[in-house]
Amino acid sequence: MTASRPPVFELRGLRKAYGEGAAAVRALRGIDLHIDPGELLVLLGPSGSGKSTLLNILGGLDRPTTGSVRFGELELSTATDAALTDYRRHHVGFVFQFYNLIASLTARENVELVTEVADAPMPAEEALGLVDLAERMTHFPAQLSGGEQQRVAIARAIAKRPSVLLCDEPTGALDVATGIRVLESILRINEQLGTTTLLITHNADIARLGDRVVRFADGLIRTVERNPARVPPSQLHW
Amino acid sequence: MTPLDRKLLRDLRRLWLQAVAVGVVLGCGIAIFVMATGMYGSLEVSRDQYYARSLMADLAGSLVRAPDRIAADLAAEPGVAGLEARASGVGLLSIEGVTEPVSARLVSLPAERRPRVNDLVLKRGRWPVATRSAEVLVNESFAEAHSIEPGQRLPVLIRGQRKIVEVTGIASSPEFVFAVAPGDILPEPRRFGVLWMNREVLGRALDLDGAFNDVVLRLQGDADRNAVIASLDAQLARYGGRGLYGRDRMLSARYLSDELSQLRTLASILPPIFLLVAVFLINVMLSRLVATERANIGLLKAFGYPNITIGAHYAKFALAFCLAAAVLGIVLGTYVGGYMASVYQAVYHLPELDFEAGPLVYLGAFVVALVAAVLGALAAVRRAVSLAPAVALAPPAPTSFRRLGEHLGQKLRALDARSRMLARRILRFPRRSATTVTGIALALALLIMSEHFPIAIERIISINFGTTQRMDVTLTFAEREHERVLREVARLPGVLQVEPLRTADVFLSAGSRREREAVLGISEGAMLNRIVSTDLEVIEPTAEGLTLSAGLVRKLNVRVGDDLRLEATDGRRVESQVRVVRIVQPFLGSAAYMERKALGRLLREPDRVDSAYLIIDAAFRDRLSTRLKEIPAIVGATFADNAERSLRQLFEQGAGFFAFMFLLFSLAMAAGVALSAARVTLGEQERDLATLRVLGFRRREASWVLLGELAVLLAVALPLGLILGAALSRWMMEQFETDLFSFPFVFDLPTYARSALFIVVAVVLATLWVRRDVHRLDLVGVLKSRE
Repeated sequence: MTASRPPVFELRGLRKAYGEGAAAVRALRGIDLHIDPGELLVLLGPSGSGKSTLLNILGGLDRPTTGSVRFGELELSTATDAALTDYRRHHVGFVFQFYNLIASLTARENVELVTEVADAPMPAEEALGLVDLAERMTHFPAQLSGGEQQRVAIARAIAKRPSVLLCDEPTGALDVATGIRVLESILRINEQLGTTTLLITHNADIARLGDRVVRFADGLIRTVERNPARVPPSQLHW
Repeated sequence: MTPLDRKLLRDLRRLWLQAVAVGVVLGCGIAIFVMATGMYGSLEVSRDQYYARSLMADLAGSLVRAPDRIAADLAAEPGVAGLEARASGVGLLSIEGVTEPVSARLVSLPAERRPRVNDLVLKRGRWPVATRSAEVLVNESFAEAHSIEPGQRLPVLIRGQRKIVEVTGIASSPEFVFAVAPGDILPEPRRFGVLWMNREVLGRALDLDGAFNDVVLRLQGDADRNAVIASLDAQLARYGGRGLYGRDRMLSARYLSDELSQLRTLASILPPIFLLVAVFLINVMLSRLVATERANIGLLKAFGYPNITIGAHYAKFALAFCLAAAVLGIVLGTYVGGYMASVYQAVYHLPELDFEAGPLVYLGAFVVALVAAVLGALAAVRRAVSLAPAVALAPPAPTSFRRLGEHLGQKLRALDARSRMLARRILRFPRRSATTVTGIALALALLIMSEHFPIAIERIISINFGTTQRMDVTLTFAEREHERVLREVARLPGVLQVEPLRTADVFLSAGSRREREAVLGISEGAMLNRIVSTDLEVIEPTAEGLTLSAGLVRKLNVRVGDDLRLEATDGRRVESQVRVVRIVQPFLGSAAYMERKALGRLLREPDRVDSAYLIIDAAFRDRLSTRLKEIPAIVGATFADNAERSLRQLFEQGAGFFAFMFLLFSLAMAAGVALSAARVTLGEQERDLATLRVLGFRRREASWVLLGELAVLLAVALPLGLILGAALSRWMMEQFETDLFSFPFVFDLPTYARSALFIVVAVVLATLWVRRDVHRLDLVGVLKSRE
């Protein structure tokens, strides 16, 4: 990691509340964080601790109530809908717990959905190759296992060569062996393409995968720890 | 209220738009059902009551002259319930402010008593007093057309004698619900009326002192109709009897029964179309609901809810808005029916005509709604019931798509990924795509059909008065005249050209089949009144034999080359053999034609004419009119432009309202189908659309998947709807065909284009309405949820 490069994200005093008055739910209660280029950051915490809210704001799917979140020169907290759409289109790759593949498109076509509108994408075949699915690319989602579907989702997320890859519980619906393959794919993307990667989990063991671990509770960052070394997924247990 | 019922109410509130869309389509169908069935019943009851109360004749006939004394013998015939021996003729009227000749049918009223057959309903004024010779009753529509009031005096020319009569009352008669002038086929209240007057006075005026020339009678319930006809015909033959005929040949009764059969057609064709579409929509909507509620169904089953409760829950859903649709349909149908009854009443002047659908029709409406609900819900309920709880609780596997054939696959590769999505979805759910296509196509077809009726009428009018009838004036003579009379006619003021016509009322028989028809004898090379077939070919009658309409040929079961027996009905006992030489589909009016002179020879009465067609110098029109009013031998003079106007009026009464109503119903159907399709598609694609948005697709790019699918289905539906509309119009016109009218099928491009445009607008508006939901998609919520 090169600390001299400017951070990808710069977050200051980030707050997010849903609803108003007494019924308001304060999902984020003042977050300050900077995320470096190429970093693999694990967000850890129980349900409702605010990690998903943060990921959504970083992904341009939501806006903070107050505070600032900068992506390079772009202030995401005040960007228009159209600007956020463009931001997602060119810079962000998403991976969700439920894979959200388009059932009517084959694996390759799901990836092409993104490469058709991206600026300098990699070929769909190459993206699928990175997740070891080159052979299954003409299959429809219904013909793929859960792990395979998630890897297609990862290939789709990274095919546009995004600046950041945001993964929200990518192994949440998978068994351990399959989950490990998915994590290996994410790690490989991070290492080979240098994509800044944020990974949400509530599994403490998975946290050993990242460069840093951010622990959430009650809408606040409790600790930020730097792992001495990344642990390869094959050595993780959960 | 059980929790499930509470859920039902909330689901209904959540899916209100779709429920409304389906409800409106079904409601429109039920409204048409209630309106047409109710109107049919009301009109039939009203007519039958009128006929019964006013002692409508079962049989009628005319003769040359028979002494009054035989009337009692005729009335005493077995099977005869009542008989009136009347004097009847035609008089010419002078009405202030009306230049063209006006004629009236003169019918005698028995002295000192009411008629035993064809009694009158006195609307205003009083009955004539037998001792006052010059008192008359006037029929209602004629009185209305000329604002004639009791107390008014009218000059009448009867057989050359001028008489001033006093109108004492306005009446209506079941015999003249429509009063049609001799030689005409359509009522023209401005030009033709009915006057009832004292028997003795009319008898004297018609030179029928102590005699009658017209007989109307009622049959006893168990009478042998044919035996009565045979017996009376035999007795009247020597008095120049022209043969008795039944209600099927009484013009007024025929009009009414034609109208009734058209209503029945309407009631039997249209509601099923709406019903069918509604069933499809319910099916699609409920199937979608069951699919989204998979987990709930699994949960309920896990809690121990029995299948029947779960099945009933979804069935109730369909039932709830189908019953609401029934109520909507009944209210709407009753309202439209009430309006329709008032339109009918304005035209028919029946003594009583209230729209009353009756409990059976309302019950029928509910049954229709129930059937729609059950049929529509069946598949979805079955799916809900058959879902195993463990399977239902597990997340559903992604919808499986298969690779298409090599050829189609290649084509799809050429598309971008989003277009590929919509193409695969259409092909993956062919039944649902077909439902949307069929629904939109049927809506368009309905619209075209409803627009077709006025076009067909316009075409009838333009061909009738442009191609067929090119005369300015038609004269009808009181008696058959020798053709010498044409020379006198030619000398009338302003007459430029004269052309004769000979009509003959005859019996045509082949084997056991026998039909009474009017044969038109048209001169060779006739230019002023030509017979035109539905494909607009001018038919030249020949001297070699009869040219018959396809309808008459069917009735007689004959072919070209067959011989027919022809009997005159004018009491002269003339019989001849005549060959069928040609079969045509005439546009309007009569069904049998022959060259005039040949027809005269066949009837052994050569060189006779009974009508003449004139071309006149317009500048002499008033002078000619004035002169015609003074000629007793002429009982009718029709100016073509007046006839055209009254024909138009007759058709237009109420037609505008119906066109508007059908426009609304068709648009409701198209919008309902589009709304429902768009809603379901959006529901199914919510996740895909959210995914597209998260991947960075702009709103309009994401919407394309939704709108594109509907656009493609619309593009398929439009040509289908146009073809279906043409077929439905043609079929409907055939159903509406009567002995008097055959309605042409007209392909009118602007109408088709306009109908298609209306449907496109309805679909686009419905789709845009749903598209707003794409903008409101909760991206995170959708994507983080399990399907």
